[in-house]
Amino acid sequence: MHIPDSFMPLSQALVYWAIALPFIFMSFRWARKDMDDMKIPILAALSAGIFAIQALNIPIGMGTSGHMVGAALVAIIFGSPFAGVLVLTLVLLVQGIVFADGGITVMGANILNMGVISGFVGYYSFVALRSKNIDIKVSAFFGAWLGLFISSIATAIEMSIAGTFPLVPGLVAMGTFHFVIGIIGEGLITAIAIAAIAKARPDLVDSKITEDSKEALL
Amino acid sequence: MKLLYAGLAIALLISVLAPYLASSDPDGLESAAESVIDEERFAELEEADPAIESPMPDYSIEGKGKLGEILAISAGTIGILVISFGLAKVLKSNRSN
Repeated sequence: MHIPDSFMPLSQALVYWAIALPFIFMSFRWARKDMDDMKIPILAALSAGIFAIQALNIPIGMGTSGHMVGAALVAIIFGSPFAGVLVLTLVLLVQGIVFADGGITVMGANILNMGVISGFVGYYSFVALRSKNIDIKVSAFFGAWLGLFISSIATAIEMSIAGTFPLVPGLVAMGTFHFVIGIIGEGLITAIAIAAIAKARPDLVDSKITEDSKEALL
Repeated sequence: MKLLYAGLAIALLISVLAPYLASSDPDGLESAAESVIDEERFAELEEADPAIESPMPDYSIEGKGKLGEILAISAGTIGILVISFGLAKVLKSNRSN
């Protein structure tokens, strides 16, 4: 879902930078507050893993492929959507500058879509489902799927404002492809990773979420 | 730190396998672009140069084939690990000052 430079006029690309920057700063603030010697290596290992798995495009049929984004996964593990924003910002920066994957001028839009939207939608859907006592794997699957799907819808709208895509066909095409990419690339991988981590290190995943969601409900 | 090494091992394993396993089909955005933009304009957008020139475009090293791809993705994986580790350290140490 990486938007290349040519897909958006510079003036609009700058608007998305302006929206993304406060989230990036808030993600730095989150790291300052939340990072400790135990969590730093986990964040680093997760960032590396997200980068690597993003290089692995999965065929989804229809002549299309997709890869995981990972913001929801990171947000769920750290109990904050800003963790997802931080990791995706770093990953997108390196992808854009070093590997020409996603443009530099449009990076604000890419950070907004993949870091902020997929992270926030994914995380809060997960928390909402968990607060209704829905199984952790199911909650992770659905949250991650919805995060990716909504972020593809946002991208289609941005592409239509940019004059690159016509609105309705753009929404249908992006929505259809990412409905499927979200199931395999995002939902299943997130659910499997969360289940594995919850089993190996239950202290990392669920206790914080259930506490947070209880606090949110009170 | 055990988690760091385990995570790095998994990430590097994916980096080595990715060039062999990854689909060469266009991703969701490109596929959507292909199906909703007329051919001429699509070709124009696809051929446009990015704003800056990247050292390893498309996760590859020119003329080095699959090995180049493995090296490029592995370098990125290790790079991201170092950057995120460093940034988190810097942000955290700022707090105690």
